Amino acid sequence: MGEVTKDVIVRYETLLKEMWSESAKYLGILSTNLLVERVIWELSQEYPAIQLLKYGPEGISCTQILTSVEKGFNDLEEMFMKFITRYVSILAKLLGHERAEEIRKKIITEFGGAF
Amino acid sequence: MANNLLLTLSVRYWQEFQDTLSKVMDANIYIFDAQGNPFSQFSLPIELCQAINKGKAVINSTCLDFYRTTFNQLKDKELLTCPRGIKLCVYRLGNYMQHLGYMIVTLGPETTPFDREKEMILNAKAYNAYRTVNEVLSALLEKNLLGLQRLELNSIYEISRLMTSITELDKVLDLITNSLVIIYQADLCFVGLRIGDKIRIAQAKGESGHLLGGKEWALLHPVIERVFSQIEPSMLTADELRTLTGVSPLEVSSHSEIILYPLWTALGIVGLLGIVVPMSLGENGKRNLQIYANFAAVALANATLVSRLEEEAKTDFLTGFLNKRALGFTLVEELQRAATYGYPVSIMFIDLDDFKYYNDTFGHLAGDVVLQKVAEIIKSCIRVTDIACRYGGEEFVIILPGTDNDNALKVAKRILNSLENHPFPHRQITASIGVATLREDDTIDSLLRRSDEACYMAKKLGKNRVYNAT
Repeated sequence: MGEVTKDVIVRYETLLKEMWSESAKYLGILSTNLLVERVIWELSQEYPAIQLLKYGPEGISCTQILTSVEKGFNDLEEMFMKFITRYVSILAKLLGHERAEEIRKKIITEFGGAF
Repeated sequence: MANNLLLTLSVRYWQEFQDTLSKVMDANIYIFDAQGNPFSQFSLPIELCQAINKGKAVINSTCLDFYRTTFNQLKDKELLTCPRGIKLCVYRLGNYMQHLGYMIVTLGPETTPFDREKEMILNAKAYNAYRTVNEVLSALLEKNLLGLQRLELNSIYEISRLMTSITELDKVLDLITNSLVIIYQADLCFVGLRIGDKIRIAQAKGESGHLLGGKEWALLHPVIERVFSQIEPSMLTADELRTLTGVSPLEVSSHSEIILYPLWTALGIVGLLGIVVPMSLGENGKRNLQIYANFAAVALANATLVSRLEEEAKTDFLTGFLNKRALGFTLVEELQRAATYGYPVSIMFIDLDDFKYYNDTFGHLAGDVVLQKVAEIIKSCIRVTDIACRYGGEEFVIILPGTDNDNALKVAKRILNSLENHPFPHRQITASIGVATLREDDTIDSLLRRSDEACYMAKKLGKNRVYNAT
């Protein structure tokens, strides 16, 4: 499980980093981090591992999830997908559907349909 | 802040807890949310219910109609018989401050015959299940509230930092509206700034917020007058909100909570903060938002003042054009843009002919009136994208981005004719205009110098004419 899970985390980390920096361009770092905090809070009861997602002025990181992977978190992929879905739905309210869709498409293109 | 707790609960984990409780109680339990929509599934396999609903979730329309009618009339608890003949006990979940949803309890699969004894058993099991479920939900609610309050307080802290760290009005407006949409899940959030006797919407966020931007509401509009007649926030109905310009095309649900906060500082009205949320913020939420609004008012007042001072520092008081100081910065930007996108830029140097004589003869006040009129005429002859600047006493510089030399000469002639034909008081006013178009080897100084020299040549050749720089 270890290697496969690590691959999943690394793939989603790249995706989240891209999402974070694209959002920060339009929203600013402060609002972007508030958005991340909000979504983490929303998902934390269902997926406690999401609380290991770290964010700050430098961006977002899954390092702590990666180092805690031996704890055997379930449904990591589902957790990341829910995080992204919720994140984009709030982003649409902030930037308008068109720009949020632009960001979503850009990510889809860069990650070959992973999202 | 009140929130629909069931929306933030994981159905899967809740179902596990509910199923365990159900086994212990030997009773079937399932939950609906505050809007009367099914939240969890049946915990025990009641054959009849599963057959009708084709599974463990309530989807049958007759069943759903029955439950919704029941919920609408329910006070706290009721013992009922459903349209399929099953006896059930319905409890309203939550407390006096927060309505969380509804819990249904029925007995296990063997429900017939339903005598007095079974009714007592159902009542007792339902009551025990209700107490357990409600306690768990209350504990989760408290945890949720603490989490949300932390988010709210974080944001309030950031806004307070704004007062000393950010003075750009756009950034302040963005931060206020973004934070509220994120924290309160607002469908719409807007900030209006006071401009004279109106409130102009300076920023609006939400799915259709862009439709509201730039709309103006008179301070004497009954709704706005009401907002500013009190210190506390005003609660509006969707119909009241729709009386304001620009709001009618927006989708605002009649169930939404609409709150308008007046933004005041010691200097008076700054503007207003509006928020449309899908569910009630509750008293705590409204109080927190009031603190937020107070900080926002001060931050906006600071940023507006700085923005006005910056605007005044680069504007010529008499004509409203840019002043000489701002010309330098603007030329740098325009020339950089032209180099990046590869389009032409021309500039005109305009000097009114014999204006000193006009001032000396008819007085400086009359001269000022002429300068204002000349500025109006110049403005009417150029595009909104062109940039007009008062360079000195009776000298003007006009930047024409994206305009080649031929078209710049046409604009110059249009200004010349308009001035010549305008009936100024006392005597005719004419101008000499020098035109220069950016060359590859030009700097800002050389471009300005060439247009100035061309203007000098126009004077030298007899005034009231256009001269093209070489």
